[in-house]
Amino acid sequence: MTVSADRRPLSGIRVFEISIAVAAPCCGKAMAHHGAEVFKVEAHSYPDVARAFGSAWARDPELADVFCDTGPYVPEMSAGKRSVGLELKHPEALEAAKRLLATCDVFLTNFAAPGIAELGLDYESVKQVCPDIIYAGMTGFGVDPDKPYYPFRAFGPNQAPLVGWDALTGFPHEEPAGIPSIAPPDYMGGLHTMLAIVTALHERDRTGEGRFLDISQLETTVSFLGPYLVGQGLGVPEPFRNGNRVSWAAPAGIYPCAGDDRWIAVEVPDDEAWQALAGFAEWSDVPAHDAGGKAALSTYPHGTLADRIEHHDAIDTELAAWTSRRSPQQAAAELQALGIAAYEVLNHTGVLADPQVHDRRPYSIAPSPRLGRDLFVRNPVRMSDTPPYVARAGPNMGGDTADVLTEIGYADDDVERMVADGTAFVDARPEVVLERPFDRWYESVGIAEFYDAEGNMTGGDQ
Amino acid sequence: MSAAQRGHGPWSGTRVLDLTGLSGAYGSRVWAALGADVICVEPPGGNPIRAMPPLAPGHEGPEASLWWAYYAASKRSVVLDPTDGEDAAALVKLIASADVVLDDAMPADQQAYPWLADAGEGGLGVAGIVERFPHLTWVSITPFGMTGPRRHWRSSNLVAWASCGLASTVGFPHGPPLAPAGEIGVLMHGASLHAVIGSMMSVRARNQAAAAGEPALGQTIDLSLQEVGLWLSPETGVPLYLDDQVPRPRAGNRRPVTSPMGMYPASDGYVAIIAIQPAHWNAVAQWVHELTGNEGILDEIFIDIVVRREALEAVDAWVEELTTRFTKQELFVEGQRRRIPITPVNTVGDLRHDPHLEAVGWWRPEEHPVLGTYTVPGSPFTTDGDWWAWQRAPMLGEHTDDVLAELT
Repeated sequence: MTVSADRRPLSGIRVFEISIAVAAPCCGKAMAHHGAEVFKVEAHSYPDVARAFGSAWARDPELADVFCDTGPYVPEMSAGKRSVGLELKHPEALEAAKRLLATCDVFLTNFAAPGIAELGLDYESVKQVCPDIIYAGMTGFGVDPDKPYYPFRAFGPNQAPLVGWDALTGFPHEEPAGIPSIAPPDYMGGLHTMLAIVTALHERDRTGEGRFLDISQLETTVSFLGPYLVGQGLGVPEPFRNGNRVSWAAPAGIYPCAGDDRWIAVEVPDDEAWQALAGFAEWSDVPAHDAGGKAALSTYPHGTLADRIEHHDAIDTELAAWTSRRSPQQAAAELQALGIAAYEVLNHTGVLADPQVHDRRPYSIAPSPRLGRDLFVRNPVRMSDTPPYVARAGPNMGGDTADVLTEIGYADDDVERMVADGTAFVDARPEVVLERPFDRWYESVGIAEFYDAEGNMTGGDQ
Repeated sequence: MSAAQRGHGPWSGTRVLDLTGLSGAYGSRVWAALGADVICVEPPGGNPIRAMPPLAPGHEGPEASLWWAYYAASKRSVVLDPTDGEDAAALVKLIASADVVLDDAMPADQQAYPWLADAGEGGLGVAGIVERFPHLTWVSITPFGMTGPRRHWRSSNLVAWASCGLASTVGFPHGPPLAPAGEIGVLMHGASLHAVIGSMMSVRARNQAAAAGEPALGQTIDLSLQEVGLWLSPETGVPLYLDDQVPRPRAGNRRPVTSPMGMYPASDGYVAIIAIQPAHWNAVAQWVHELTGNEGILDEIFIDIVVRREALEAVDAWVEELTTRFTKQELFVEGQRRRIPITPVNTVGDLRHDPHLEAVGWWRPEEHPVLGTYTVPGSPFTTDGDWWAWQRAPMLGEHTDDVLAELT
């Protein structure tokens, strides 16, 4: 596919990304999947953790110099981006970065405000070389040095506790379980940032002017607590973690199924679905736990939501007795037939076997300069005429330095000299092409669309 | 609120019909405050969000829900009964006047909308609507997408977390999986942000094509809640697993990777600490030493995260001797001063009184004709321009007459 034929909505938009971990990278990745040309400007002196993590199987001293290209987070966050190796603490590298910036539409960073200023890439400096830049600065706590938390460090996994999500995760009789293994606040910060960037592009179409976007993750993620925060001033009791229950539907929960660590999530959305559940013929073999000696599931066929919430424990006990005699798939199919929201609690192997995943193929496999080919998640916004995709995994750290510098006017000699003196760098040993240990599974797993280097879907049978 | 007052913000002049519930509400709230004319088309009984607790104390009825008060901010409300021929015809006109429709109808219902049949359109589905109104961007937010064997299956925030693999990794080893952040609806709000971003991109592309003299065409967007979940959970998802074959079981509120890592008790709750880098550990060890006189913790063998993993219980106990002496806010401020990545495990009440949010002037008052005056959160991000135009949520059918009059 040639550039001119690319009608994806962000085609022609150039993004200068200087980023770490997830929050800004996931914004840049969504933009790349929708057609933007994203330059990830990286340095060995302050590498992205996605580079530092590498991959367990690549911990071989002989692979030390290419280890940075092996982490699964590299394609996950940066497939489709071009990696430009510039050690920005050198004045000449900063000059090259500014020449690249002069050609860009968007500056995207989640470096802390003091850190980005130290590199000479604060808004005022960037604006000098690119007056209509859309500058998206993602910080933990904003850019005003006079505010209390300005100097504090925001770490992805520490964000969910800070913004109230962890305290609401867990059962009321236990410590909060929290969500330490994952970082949804980072993704939500990235989505807010993309929304802001697309809005600024839309505005710039009209005004010709750029914009400074101050995305403070504290505010973006606390925003999700809105109804409960409003309630605080009105005398509404503070919400407390309540397992998997919700205050507007009952029963709702995760129930054990037959087998080891198998579970099903169930939520009865409305009275109609409840009546279907209560009238379901299967309850005769469920032990009765209600005070009246009758199964709660069939005692309240016309029960209101308040009734169901009051008897939630008894309903849970009986529903669990029923689910625990079935596989999660069987239980889900029976409950869905009654109009009830229900699904197996999938783990990784469950996702790999999921019929919907097999049919819709929400992963991509595309050529990778270091790994032959590699796997990463597709963008979920499936646009009918311009579906999102990227045609290349990786990138190798610094793999696009020479091409990009040449494109912005550097002579080959200049590039060689910058690499020689450590101002810029290219990828280590590009001839070393590895293979993930499970590469050969990809076709048989049947979860991914395969792309060739031109962005054509190949179906995986090449 | 008049149409003239709406003419503010970067998206002024763009009209969005919101036919969704929770899966569209957060994103379209942001869009409305950025100037788009977001019209909630509600059935006579009101959008189901209007019934969702918490309710304002002392109130009942369609204005009482704080979910509605928050998520419908800056939008307009039009009540139409699609089973009524005249209303159905008005709805078709309204759709024709829109740039974007956000729809959460199940795929089977999207095959043929009965109200379009009543309007004399022969029961058109989404495909027919966009063929008739090609300028439209139509977003279908559905549990499992518009295709596939489970496209007719129902879902919810909880069920979507289960279907993407993430819930299986949240919780304690002895207990069941958990939806992160419970009923806050994080996955739903993530879906709504994707829906709005996709719509914005589609509208912008259409406008640019029109400016270039090309056909101004919208698109349909197929957004699956399950796939939204897969997108935001690589930490627990397939690519990592295929690479290392290491399952990600539920590990509770501490990660058994090293210590301290995870949640630790404070005198009034909990704090979260991550000390992976040597500098972070040294700062923790120094602080424990200053407070408790613990000499052993300063031994440099503990700088190695593997040693701390092997001595996990002992190191955790030492760290708890520190954390239990202070409040979570004291630990936050002093710990951060010492450059330790430490944060309080805040509750909603804590955040309502958070000193930083106070200092940046985040909160603002809002007046509502039924609910009175209350305090609401400010904008989710800021810019160097005047982007935001926040208005209270509309009352049920508040703008029906205005909007229908505009259509004629």
